[in-house]
Amino acid sequence: MRATTPTLAEIVVRDDVEISYEVYENAGPTLLLIPPSPITHSRIFKAQIPFLSRHYRVVTFDGRGNGQSGRPAGRDRHTRAQNVADILAVLDATSTDTAILVAHCHANWWALDIASNHPERAHGLVAIEPGVPYMGTRLQHWIESGKTWNEALQAPSGWQLYNRRVIVNDLHAWVSFFFDAQLVEKHSTKQFEDAVEWALETTGEILADAEEAQELDPPAKHEFYDQVDSLDLPVLVIHGDHDVCQHVDKGIELAAATDGDLVIIEGGGHLSLARDAVKVNRAIKRFVDTKRGTRMNAETWTRGPSRPKRALYLSSPIGLGHVRRDLAIVEELRKIEPDLQIDWLAQDPVTRVLETAGLTIHPASEWLASESGHITSEASGHDLHCFQALRRMDEILLANFMIFQEVVEEGNYDLIVGDEAWDVDHFWHENPELKQGSHVWMTDFVGYLPMPEGGEHEAYLTADYNAEMIEHIARFPRIRDRAIFVGNPDDIYPATFGPDLPKIKDWTENHFDFSGYITGFTPPTPDEIGSIRDELGFSPDEKVCIVTVGGSGVGRDLLEKVIASFPLAKAQIPELRMIAVAGPRIDPGSLPKHPELEVHGYVDRLYRHLSVCDLAIVQGGLTTTMELTAASRPFLYFPLKNHFEQNYHVRYRLDQYGAGTAMDYSATGPEDLAAAITVELGRDVNYRPVETDGAHRAARMIAELV
Amino acid sequence: MRARYPDIAGHVDREGVSLGYEVFGDGEPTVLLLPTWTIIHSRFWKMQIPYLARRFRVITYDGPGNGRSDRVTDPERYSADSHALDAEAVLRACGVERAVVVGLSLGAAYGVRLATLRPGLVSGLVMIGPSIPLTAASPERERTFQTFLEPAPPSPIGWQKYNLDYWRTDYRDFAEFFFSQCFPEARSTKPIEDSVGWATETGPDVLEAESLSPPPEDPWDELVSQVACPSLVIHGTRDRISPHRRGVRAARLSGGTLLTLEGSGHIPNVRDPVKVNLALRDFVERVMAP
Repeated sequence: MRATTPTLAEIVVRDDVEISYEVYENAGPTLLLIPPSPITHSRIFKAQIPFLSRHYRVVTFDGRGNGQSGRPAGRDRHTRAQNVADILAVLDATSTDTAILVAHCHANWWALDIASNHPERAHGLVAIEPGVPYMGTRLQHWIESGKTWNEALQAPSGWQLYNRRVIVNDLHAWVSFFFDAQLVEKHSTKQFEDAVEWALETTGEILADAEEAQELDPPAKHEFYDQVDSLDLPVLVIHGDHDVCQHVDKGIELAAATDGDLVIIEGGGHLSLARDAVKVNRAIKRFVDTKRGTRMNAETWTRGPSRPKRALYLSSPIGLGHVRRDLAIVEELRKIEPDLQIDWLAQDPVTRVLETAGLTIHPASEWLASESGHITSEASGHDLHCFQALRRMDEILLANFMIFQEVVEEGNYDLIVGDEAWDVDHFWHENPELKQGSHVWMTDFVGYLPMPEGGEHEAYLTADYNAEMIEHIARFPRIRDRAIFVGNPDDIYPATFGPDLPKIKDWTENHFDFSGYITGFTPPTPDEIGSIRDELGFSPDEKVCIVTVGGSGVGRDLLEKVIASFPLAKAQIPELRMIAVAGPRIDPGSLPKHPELEVHGYVDRLYRHLSVCDLAIVQGGLTTTMELTAASRPFLYFPLKNHFEQNYHVRYRLDQYGAGTAMDYSATGPEDLAAAITVELGRDVNYRPVETDGAHRAARMIAELV
Repeated sequence: MRARYPDIAGHVDREGVSLGYEVFGDGEPTVLLLPTWTIIHSRFWKMQIPYLARRFRVITYDGPGNGRSDRVTDPERYSADSHALDAEAVLRACGVERAVVVGLSLGAAYGVRLATLRPGLVSGLVMIGPSIPLTAASPERERTFQTFLEPAPPSPIGWQKYNLDYWRTDYRDFAEFFFSQCFPEARSTKPIEDSVGWATETGPDVLEAESLSPPPEDPWDELVSQVACPSLVIHGTRDRISPHRRGVRAARLSGGTLLTLEGSGHIPNVRDPVKVNLALRDFVERVMAP
């Protein structure tokens, strides 16, 4: 799912080619993002758009030859002049009199043409890893491979793949080599996959034609320098010093020649806009605001000693489990630190719970891109590949981090608590100078694990992500002031992080404090069970089975399967009463109906129902299954297919408690399920007890930092 | 020991009054730190000079009546117009044609007058806790202005000490009271000691002459509106000498930026020097940006 969607997506036709553009309407100056087509398209700016469009009007387009735009054939259709004319057509079509041009790689040459030949259309240029002629060092591998461009090479490899025949016949070979070479930063698997995917949306012929077209109408060297000298607009150059497409010298010389600002990203390659998006985004904003002279209209600064103690609490919106335990922790925290002000940066469905509890939700929360919406969009039936879903959430995490960082910089927070706030933890390690306040990282599992279906490649990817996390913590131990594992060392799944990586348990014991499990409630005593059942209208002679699928939209298939089993089970056990809870994201009216079946939407304090039921049927999420464990209720749980956390981490933990019966969704038909209900309903269980002081312990660990 | 000593220390004579100035560093642009109410002298910029002088040329001078300048008792020499001409004389003596000008309290009024009498000299103006009568002061303070020349009560308390008769009786006690009001922030013993020390370098005769100085011909709100260069107002919300609303008004009239310091008093350049230094640097760089 995208982090933000355009106000307008349209087509302008020029030279018989459809040019697709998107507009993100906003006040303020227009930023025109120019991708270096046709090897990529406007999605290359996916990490910039959500952030920039919150501050400015943003226009993007796909250059001819890729994305949603047309695919004209022939060299003369891909010249610089053609591309420049397309850009002007997009400016006209979007009624943009003048824009700040943001260009990557060779698109900067087009941007320079516009700035010098149509100065009224551009009032600023952000040149990212600029590819401009004559300036700086021309890399040796381009010189060498250019010599064999037209040759029929025997078994070409490396930079020799920059060859017309290779590109035409095996585009994948060239672009995968090229982007692998460009992504010099470790742990770039996602950026690599994105770049290759977008590159494969064009064709080899078009890419080869476009490469040759660059040589069709070049200016002479003195003409080019005259052009640059004539520029009269503010320029910002951003360049990675390990760029092997455009040598960093080019950026340095362009900045000097235009009297522009220069940001060098040491250790960065050619795709800083994807790989160091936080830095790039902030540099662009600083440039735009400074040049407009409006960076600071009014500011209030509070003296340190005058500041109230403030915390910003982030609670993961993926499932409703985090907010339950976070509320319990905050309740304990208030007992220790009664004067602590707490703002919540949160999104639906967490905000519904917070609103009900009357807590302070930071107004910036409404800007957050939806993480639970993304997860729902990634699910298919009873299948959620949560590792890949998290990887594909990259732009949403980045967009939300940029919001978080602004909130933190304006909020004077003493403490940041992130309950699985992946964005904060990751991007603060990548941009350690941005950290402010004390940071508490909290999670209930450590380590990505591959699912068998993913094969070796997925095992490679999970190990790479784990290695990145381990390196992060080793290099910048100061980013996590406290890491809290919600659980106990025995809960940790016995595996390694990957080949040549530590055992998860050893590493986690060395890098975390353990709060014990946090249920957020105290299980009822036998007496209380009776009174709660009375209150809820469960009569002593009925056996109540609760079916729930949690807070996300994932789970409709399971609900339907359980509903199908209901008449079969009811025929065998007449005292069975089944209550299905659809949750906030599934319309209860859209589920199959049965005369004796009760279906509800959101149920307040569902844990009370669960804690007194005779059987629960649930997914494999940790929160609900552990609530049932703590309350000693029999339950059947169905881990989502391809969900490593539910299949490994949660299941292992439940096994430690001797709790629940794991079910395989695809192998279980309605008859099997009815039989299982018959066996489990009202069964006496004897689970290992769950501690009830987890919230207090976690609160004490947090309070030490305030 | 000072953290930074001047590269040049000299005197300039303007119409018979000798003014001591100091120059630190030789960067561009020049930042002129103006004098303020002459009860203290240029050392009140001590927290700014070392930082700013690493980047810019910093000029300070003592106004008439304190520090290394003559103890004048002619009220005319304490008007804002006269102060503006003093500043011009110092800049000329240093060979400086244009500067970013920073004034604290009454010094902000001198800066406004310099920026309106000699606009070519001022590329940017910073007003810290401007003591410019754009709105009323606190009722307590307004009352003391009425009784300033009356005999002091036998045992004056609080703002009753703002009284010429009392200054002649116990000047030091007045100074201690006054600076305790300038620094309402807790733990301000050192800033108060410093200020009282500088205050004892002058006395009631000078302050009496200052109090009788004539106001400018034009109303202050018109003068502040005439400031054409970029401007920044820095004002604390706990300013007991010149209320924060004056800073808000100064920023609005001058079209400048307002930096509000929540919880700060009248002299934030001493009490919150890090924040003020960073804001000054940011402002100077913005003014100088092409």
